[in-house]
This record gives sequence, structure tokens and C-alpha cells, in this order.
Amino acid sequence: MALDQSVSRRRLLQLMGGAAAVGTLAACGGNSGSSSSSGGQLKVIGVGDQEAGLRKALDEYKKAHSDFDFNLSFAPADQVQTALRTQLAGGNAPDIHVVYPGNGSAMSMAQLSKANLLTDLSDQSWTQKIPTGFKGAFQNDGKTYIFSPGSSMLGAIYNKKAFATAGVEPPTTWSELLAVCEKLKAKGIVPIALGAQTPWITQLIPYALVPGTVYAKTPDFDDKMIAGQASFADSGWVDAMDKYLELQKKGFFNANPNGTTYEQATSLVGTGKAGMAVQVSAVLPAFRKASPSPDDLGMFPFPATDVAADNWIPGGVVVGIAISAKSKKADQARKFFEYCGQPDTLSAWAEAVACVPLYSDGEPKVDPVLKPFLPYLKDNKAVPFMDQRWPNAEVQPTHFAVVQELLGGKTTVQDALKKMDEAYRKTA
Amino acid sequence: MTTVTAAVGRGAAKATRRRGGIAPPWYFAAPALIVYALVMLYPAIAGAGSAFTDWSGVGDQRSFVGLENFKQLFSDDQAIGALRNTLFLTVAIVVVQNGIGLLLALGVHTTIKSRMALRVVFFAPVVVSPVMVSFLWKYVYNPAPDAGLNAALNAIGLGSLRQDWLGNPSLAIWSVAFTVIWQCAGYSMVIFLAGLEGVPQELHESAMVDGAGTVARFRHITWPLLAPAVTINVMLSTVGGLTLFTQIIAMTNGGPGYATDTLSTVLYKQAFVYGKFGYSTAVALVLAIFVAAVSFIQIGYLRSRETTA
Repeated sequence: MALDQSVSRRRLLQLMGGAAAVGTLAACGGNSGSSSSSGGQLKVIGVGDQEAGLRKALDEYKKAHSDFDFNLSFAPADQVQTALRTQLAGGNAPDIHVVYPGNGSAMSMAQLSKANLLTDLSDQSWTQKIPTGFKGAFQNDGKTYIFSPGSSMLGAIYNKKAFATAGVEPPTTWSELLAVCEKLKAKGIVPIALGAQTPWITQLIPYALVPGTVYAKTPDFDDKMIAGQASFADSGWVDAMDKYLELQKKGFFNANPNGTTYEQATSLVGTGKAGMAVQVSAVLPAFRKASPSPDDLGMFPFPATDVAADNWIPGGVVVGIAISAKSKKADQARKFFEYCGQPDTLSAWAEAVACVPLYSDGEPKVDPVLKPFLPYLKDNKAVPFMDQRWPNAEVQPTHFAVVQELLGGKTTVQDALKKMDEAYRKTA
Repeated sequence: MTTVTAAVGRGAAKATRRRGGIAPPWYFAAPALIVYALVMLYPAIAGAGSAFTDWSGVGDQRSFVGLENFKQLFSDDQAIGALRNTLFLTVAIVVVQNGIGLLLALGVHTTIKSRMALRVVFFAPVVVSPVMVSFLWKYVYNPAPDAGLNAALNAIGLGSLRQDWLGNPSLAIWSVAFTVIWQCAGYSMVIFLAGLEGVPQELHESAMVDGAGTVARFRHITWPLLAPAVTINVMLSTVGGLTLFTQIIAMTNGGPGYATDTLSTVLYKQAFVYGKFGYSTAVALVLAIFVAAVSFIQIGYLRSRETTA
């Protein structure tokens, strides 16, 4: 009221003009600030899961190359997807950015390279050492577009103290797993922590089970799917989903998994309130942070069947990085990628994110908790993460949604898998 | 009260001056119009073309697909489910938020001593960012028995009412609606309050002399004269409900499953998660036309009600 009485129209316009001028100056300041910060710096954006390894590689490279500088930022996977796709669409993507191996997501190597948004890395020396089985994760039309330090194992991260309290050992068959869960539950420990409110968590238990229920019997299941000769709803996926629900019906998950987040589930295992969580080894650093001692945690392959020979494991190439096709500093970035592909750097990065290095001269140096998985790799009983061979970006989010519906009792296994089949048959 | 009365008085004075020929020249609006055209209109019109293509949102590859995206939209279970959720949320928000807003306004439009403090308290959630409010309520809705709302229910002996507030597909949409209403009821209250301040006291006094009770005075004096405030509140909450996005993404991401997806979250997911920018734009276009149509119909009806009042 006082303002209205004392401020004339002319004065108001003057004030507005002043405010506009301040705004303009502020905008100028912002622009110059950002341009100076990016001057000579490589802009790098990654997801939280890769921070430990990527930051280490960049720091080491900078130490050895005084003319190299970078501007690094991280964000959760969902946010990166939104922000990066907008930048890619606008033609102002960072020089180096996160990319998911294979196909199956809007930020995957196959989808982005098809849109000519990634730099071809095929002439880099490390690309010659990509194991044949992993080439599909790195290459599209025979050209390599992504660097990844290696493969992450998917299994159960367990709390050794909780297991000791219940007097149980890591199980090797499905029946043993149920018995272990029963004993943990009897001791008041949540057998399996599940944070299904966080969408990507919903897929982990099916991913842990289908290598045993699908791929051990039909190793070429993905090829049959592509050829239209197989479907989710008429395959071992039914068995895997039934087993998922069996775990829920027996009360082996924490109460209300659909309302529980990944962070809450991580904390449950870290503190020993829960016995285990089905997870990728790449998130071990987060679990260790949540635990009083990192040594409290171990990992074991999550058994899907009662036939030990059929218990294959999921082992997928971990999230990697690529160079934007529009980067003006592509030469610098390519040199950094060449450095990342060298055995020592690769090994250090892989160790930092608890994964098995892409290649190694001799015995691979891995985090000790991954040792139970190595025989499976040797015997070719590891299957890439399922989404990496799905033909479009719609199957994976459909999988997330139908699992939440299953856990919420809103759909049946058959209907859920039919929805995934429908999403699979849509064009890329 | 003084402030609003003075504002009404100023408005009347301004209108008189305008009638006297001192209306500001149209080009005073030009800077704002130019910015609006560049930032809102141009991108909206330029983007609308994508609705007729199969563009993925990145790269240059796109081909014209005619009305294919629109055909798909009307047979897409996810979009139809989202439309149902959107309408449910809109009706819940319009009715409950405005109902509570009106009650709050009537409550603080009295002579009780703490009325100013109460106005601030009820309006406070409005000034907090919706993302912050969503995270706060996500904490309150923690499904663990010893956390948030469940712990509070336990503490007062109502442990049997504990729920998985956001994880239960049948309950999640109610939880989201409650959060939105909790945050925005204060906004409706302020608009109703401004309307109440404009109701002449003499009308109430003469009605009292005629023996009219509280209910009769509200029905025959206050309610008809609140018509402009009702118009604004209903319009704003309808548009807010139809385009609800932030609270959903921050609290449930449309889940569990598709239980809380709205048209806005579907168009976001189609663009950024599924990589179907063309289809997403078609959803956006239909949503924009739908919101505009509903708004025009509403404003037509509510304005006519104002005239008769």
C-alpha cells in the first residue's frame, strides 16, 4: 500500500528499467562465467555409479598432461537421461558423456549411434581387445562407439554378520535360498531388501533369475526373440516372475517394497537389518558406505534353480562413456579414451566400480567379493543384462512398471509378460 | 482487511481514470509480448510439427507419419489410464482444495486474534517449491512402520491404519492428491479471502436485522458475491490439475506401475524415456487443446453465474 502511494508511474518504469538492466548484466555475467569455465576444459557428464572410476581416470590423466583440464559433473541416472537428451537434441551435448552399452534404453549406444550422435572409436587400440561376446554392447554396424571398463556381476550383496546371526551360508540352489531366507526371517532379519519404488531396482531379481530359467536352456533366446520365434509370455520368464512373487508371498522382502527406495534398501543391508539385496556389483561402493565396515559385505551368485549346472549368472558390460559427435574437443577426448583403454587405467577404473576388467594381461585383478563369479565367466555361463539386446527403449520401462504392478497385486504374470511382448514388438 | 479494501478502492479509481482517457498506450505491452512470443509461442508452434513425425528427440532422422501418433494415442492403454488419473486428480483437487480453501478463508475472515498468524500458516506451503514439498511428503509417506505418518498413527494407537501410502497402487493417487491439496489450499484461501473482503458489511448487517442466520447470510449474500473468486479458483485449480506433473514425478514417477501417471508424465516419459518425441508432442498437443477447451467452457459458465449473481 505504501509502495502504491509513493511510487509514481514514471518511478515505477524507472525501477523496472533498472531491474531489467540488472537482469541483463546478471545474464552477461552468467554467460561469461560459463564460457570462461569451459575454455579449454572438456565437459564431462556421468552417472553416480561411475563416479569412483571416471573421476580417478580423469585426475590421473590430468596429472600426466598439464594442458588437459576437465569440468566433471554427475547426476542420478533418471535425471541424466532427461538433461542429456535435451542437450543432445539441442546440439550442445558435453564433450564426453555417459552412454549405456548395447540397446534397450533411450541413452544406449545403439540408439544414439543410429542418430549419428556419437564419435566412432574403432581406430583406438583397446577396441581390438573387446571379447567377442561383448562386442554387441560396444558396437553398432561393426563400429565401436562406447568405452566401458568391463562387466558388472549381478547377484546378491549380503551382510555377513546378518548371515552369521542366522547361522546360514550363501546358498547355491533355489531351495537352499528359500531355506536361508526362512532362517533369516526367523531371526527377525529381513531376508531380501527390495526398494522397488526406484524403477531400475524392479528389474534386478528377474535379471538374476532368467539366466537360469531361460538362457541356460535356450542360450539363443535373444536371437529367437528378434526373429519372432519366442516370447516372454511363453518362456522361462514365467518361471522367473513366479519365483519373484513366491519370495514376496513368503514374506522374504521388507514390508511394502513398492514404497521403499533404493537408498532405504541399501541402508537395510548395510546396517544388517536385512540379510541381502539383489544388486549389480557396480553399486558395492554405496553399500559399503552404508555399512559400519566394508568387510561386512560379500556377494554370491543368486541361484535360480535347483540344478547347480543351470544356475547361470547375469554379467553385463557396465555403463560407459562416449564422445559427442559434435564435440569441438574430440581430439583431446580421443586421447583420453586411448589412455582409459590401457590395461593399468582400465584395471584401476574396474576395481573402483567393483567390476571385472574388459580385458587383462594375465589373471584379472578384481575386487575379492567378485571371486565367486569368476568360474561362471570362465565356463561361459554369464549372460549380458537382458535389456542390452532389447530392440527399443520401451521394453525396459514397461518391465519396471509391470513388476511394480505385480508386487502391488494389480496384474498377473501372464498379463505382465504380454505387456512386455507388446512393447518388444513395437518398432525401434 | 485494510489493505484489500484500499486495493479495491484503488482499482475503482484506476478504472475511472481509464474512462477519462488515460489508458496506457498498447506498445507498453510490446516488450512482454515479444518475450512471450519468442519464449512460449514460437517454440510451441514450431514444436507442434513434430507431432506428425516419428522423431526420436535426438538426431536429424525423422519422417512424416501423418495422424499415426494421434491414432496411437486414442488406442494406447497407458495414455487412456493417464487420462483417467488426470481427470480424477483434477476433480479431487478442484472440489477438495477449493472447499478447504473456502472454509479456511471463512475461518480467518473473523475477528479472532490469531487470524493474521493463521493466514500466514495456511499460506506458507504455497511459497515452498513443489519439489521440496513432494520430497517432504515422500518422507512423511515412508512405508516403514517406525517412520513418518505410520509412526504417528502408531503413537496415537491407530497402528492398524498404517499404509504403504505411495507403494499401494490403489492408494498412491489419493496420497498424491492429498499432498497437492495440502500445498495449494492456502492459495485458494487467499483468493477467497480477497473476495470476502469485498463483500459489503452493510448487507450482512441489514440481513441480520431482518433475522437472517449465519447459513442464510452465507447462502444469499456471501456465496453469490464470491462468484468472481470462485471463477478464478476453479479455473486455476482445473488447469493445475490437468497439467499436474512435478509432484507426481518427484513422489511416484507415475508408479507403482502406471497407477499415478498423468497426461503430463506420459508425455514426459514418451519423450525422454521411450525416445518417442513425435508421439510425445502429439500427447502434448491433445492435452493443450483439452485444457483450452475445458477452460473456455468453464469460464463461459462461471462468468454467466457472476452476471446473474
